[in-house]
Amino acid sequence: MRRGVVSSEQFTGWAFVTPAAVIIGLFGAAPIVWSLVMSFQENNLLSPSTPFVGTANYRKLAHDPVVAQAIQHTLVYTVLFVPGTMAVGLFLAVAMNRKIRFISLYRTAAYATIAISTISEAIVFLWLFDPSYGVVNYFLSWFGVPPQQFLNSPSQALYVIVIMTIWGWTGFSVVIYLAALQGVPQQLTEAAAIDGAGPWQAFRRVTLPLLSPATLFLAVWLTINALQLFDEVYLSTQGGPLNATTVLVYYLYTQAFQQFNFGYASAIAYFLFVVIIVITVIQFRVGRRFTYYRS
Amino acid sequence: MAAFSKAYLAGLLAVLTGAAVLAGCGTDSTSSGGGGGAQTIQIWEGYTAAEAKAFSHLVSEYEAQHPGQKVSPLFVNNDNTLQKVLTAVRGGSPPDIAYLYGSWAPNVAQIPQVANLTQVVQRPGVNWNDFWTGERAVATVNGKVIGIPAVVDNLAVVYNKTLFAKAGLQPPGPDWTWQEFMADAKKLTNPAIKQFGTAYVTPGTEDTVWHWEPLLWEAGGQLLTPDNKKAAFDSAAGLASLNTLRTMAVTDKSMYLDPSDSTYSNLFNSGKIGMLVTGPWDLSAFPNVKYGVQVMPAYPGTTGGHQTISGPDNWVIFNNSPARVAAAEQFLLWLTAPAQVKYWAVQTGNLPSRQSVGDSAAVTQQMNAALPGVGAFIANLANVKQARPQISQYPKISTILGNMVVSVLLGKSQPQAALTAAAQQVDQALAAG
Amino acid sequence: MTATSAPARGGVRSPAGGAVRGARRRWRLPFSPWHLVLIPATIVLIFPFVWLVITSVQTPAEALHFPPVLIPHQIRLANYPDALNSAPFGRFFVNSAIVAVVTVLSNLVLCSLAGYAFARFRFLGRTALFAVIMATLMVPFQVTMIPQFIITKWLGVHVLAAVGINHIGALILPNAATAFGIFFLRQFFRTLPLEYEESARVDGASRLTVLIRIVLPLATPALATLAALTFLDSWNNFLWPLIAITSTNQMTLPLGLATFQGAHQTEWTLLMAANVMSLIPMLCIFFLAQRHFIRSVAATGLAGT
Repeated sequence: MRRGVVSSEQFTGWAFVTPAAVIIGLFGAAPIVWSLVMSFQENNLLSPSTPFVGTANYRKLAHDPVVAQAIQHTLVYTVLFVPGTMAVGLFLAVAMNRKIRFISLYRTAAYATIAISTISEAIVFLWLFDPSYGVVNYFLSWFGVPPQQFLNSPSQALYVIVIMTIWGWTGFSVVIYLAALQGVPQQLTEAAAIDGAGPWQAFRRVTLPLLSPATLFLAVWLTINALQLFDEVYLSTQGGPLNATTVLVYYLYTQAFQQFNFGYASAIAYFLFVVIIVITVIQFRVGRRFTYYRS
Repeated sequence: MAAFSKAYLAGLLAVLTGAAVLAGCGTDSTSSGGGGGAQTIQIWEGYTAAEAKAFSHLVSEYEAQHPGQKVSPLFVNNDNTLQKVLTAVRGGSPPDIAYLYGSWAPNVAQIPQVANLTQVVQRPGVNWNDFWTGERAVATVNGKVIGIPAVVDNLAVVYNKTLFAKAGLQPPGPDWTWQEFMADAKKLTNPAIKQFGTAYVTPGTEDTVWHWEPLLWEAGGQLLTPDNKKAAFDSAAGLASLNTLRTMAVTDKSMYLDPSDSTYSNLFNSGKIGMLVTGPWDLSAFPNVKYGVQVMPAYPGTTGGHQTISGPDNWVIFNNSPARVAAAEQFLLWLTAPAQVKYWAVQTGNLPSRQSVGDSAAVTQQMNAALPGVGAFIANLANVKQARPQISQYPKISTILGNMVVSVLLGKSQPQAALTAAAQQVDQALAAG
Repeated sequence: MTATSAPARGGVRSPAGGAVRGARRRWRLPFSPWHLVLIPATIVLIFPFVWLVITSVQTPAEALHFPPVLIPHQIRLANYPDALNSAPFGRFFVNSAIVAVVTVLSNLVLCSLAGYAFARFRFLGRTALFAVIMATLMVPFQVTMIPQFIITKWLGVHVLAAVGINHIGALILPNAATAFGIFFLRQFFRTLPLEYEESARVDGASRLTVLIRIVLPLATPALATLAALTFLDSWNNFLWPLIAITSTNQMTLPLGLATFQGAHQTEWTLLMAANVMSLIPMLCIFFLAQRHFIRSVAATGLAGT
């Protein structure tokens, strides 16, 4: 009997995943393997001759000072962006998880931020943070802070990108947490309240643990995306000033389509791939200890 | 919400997939030629607004005049064209014609499917020498002609007449110098009302570099040695050019630094900037100011004069089949014939890509009436004496130079140190080949 | 967070414990204090959207100002019909709609199946397969787009023309199931208590029936969220359509929006008008979906207030 159950579960399990797996395999996994092959070639995308060069691209990567800078920028960016977006998103989701007037409008406003095109986002932030004409310097002047160079400053530009992208992704965080908050039954929070727990304690002891699967999801998803930051950099600073906002994917893009070093770009992509895998595995391992699934 | 019925969903999915398939079937996959004798060629271009209208008109006119020939344009923003073309080439489906930036020419020439037009442009009636020197230089790589000029432009100084009058300054004359430019910029700068004398784009890309190169040339300098093997800009001329930029950006603070590529023109249009070094494409972005156009300044005591730089772009033909190459050649030769060049220039305000058209006073008059100041840019084409090095390592050099210029503008390094460091890197890049 | 904070100020706590609905009338403020948080937050969030709408009704000359003009002197509503007429936007809209709707439905079905299997079943190779699926998220598209182009072209020639290059099927198929959808639903399904599913299985229901009759209704918020986010991703997708589409009548909206961006000049007013028109369907979808974000009490079977 038991063996029958196990083998039918094998069969059903595979039956359920196969359609999705085939699509993702064909369009996701196959190109990735292909790109791995390309990383061992010298490929300028122009002539069809793509000779194998062994690990030359990877050795070049190890000695490229811009790659070292890009790694640093990518990591700094990720460490600031991911917790930032999650915290803001959680706060707003909690605020929006109630049936007060206009709540649909507030939620739609959060969604609008992810719907808006990146180019509009970039233009508005370039304006807000303009050293001479921007509103942010204007507000800072109220506090006696001298005008900052922001996107013209190698030391500040990356942080402006962090703020811009947190703004852009907050809506996503809100939407995910809102969905997850529906899984927090009111009975439990009410029971905690009756037991004398204050609202913050109820939140910390009851709600947060129940939200942990969503938190893990967001942490993993946002990290994977943060480590591959590209659009906002491409549309605002183009990696500048002086490589201050050059992150790994932007650098590999310039290597592929401006410098015609596609093999090298593939190698950078693979290096990043390994970094992302390692970080994601760590997140899942840590997550397993802190995530609470009601099943 | 009621329980999902899988049948319902599957049905909906089927209906919509069916619609998708039908919609897909409704397309004719593009250029197949044959069948009925109609030869269709596909052309990828990035024309918007007035240019798009003019191009549409020209395509219809061509098809009317040449029955059996069809031209199928596809809009691709010029910045994205390279990605799309390279992917298509790798995948075996390049377009027939693509609009490609001139700065990509030395690399594009390495694509085997790019048609060699050296013999084509020598055909009678084409008049290859009628195209400006700068254009022909950019369309030719190692003696092989790989494109037909699509556009030509150059850099000159556009200044705000009202601001000059308010500051009591004489407008720039044809013999002016960089000293005068700097002095004017300083006088036009007023931090209290956030007004700047001039502006410069600082993304560190080729845009940053090609605004600096004319200064180097005006100071009598060269970018590379004649054999293109070593850097030659670490010279007195290089130092003079960077010092000019540094004085304005760091010392006088008369220069607005724009990390984007569009803020500076809106600022000029809002009357916040006194002078800009820019090209004819920006003139239509200044509807709200009374502007004048003058040649770039010179450095006295050098041989550079009022030289300027030009950034021509190319129509490139890809070989899909001999019939399609022939059809593409026929279309491009027609498109770049004097009559069409004249129509294009007058309708869009783009500088005429042929000298015979550009030298015509009637054309200049017509264009000036539609777009004041463009005549000065046409005349300025005579100041284009040389082009950027047509070598495949140019993109690498461009990045090095971009960082050099930006570091000086931001005050992060002294001009001489920046020059020396950049020259070393350029030498390495050139040696690596 | 429940509103147990406010009643402590002096209102009588309702027996159900601080549910906002009942307690509101007893507070000093005539409205929920959460509005004081939400309103400034919303202003910050929608500010770029406000700029976008204002630019879409400006005259082109006024749009060429910096700093941007927020109170235009002239309103030009003609930007909207002008934008629609400058390219076959009706066709772009239809293409985008077909791609988005089919992609969403396909994801809802395929990712539910796969997500549920990863959440609940044990089968050989489960972890490895999940890892491979997640791995596909970790290589940037700039690198995979060339192989993807080649594969798509091959499929179009050898399998089914409608999913080949220059067909909207090619925009649908690669995203018909996404790692995002699978990962998201797996996480969500794991939060559901096993009791319902187990009791149904004991009653003899097949796994599929359990999924459709028991789990999916409980997962409405997650499904609505996935639908909204997948729709958005599909609607805004630019790079793959740029590479895969080679004729104007197969273009989708983002490619259509790009037609306003020239090499040196951008027609900002028309672009923003087109952007607004492009956003409206997304916002409508979201507005409809977000009603399901709050799971109805009856559906959960939980005794509520």
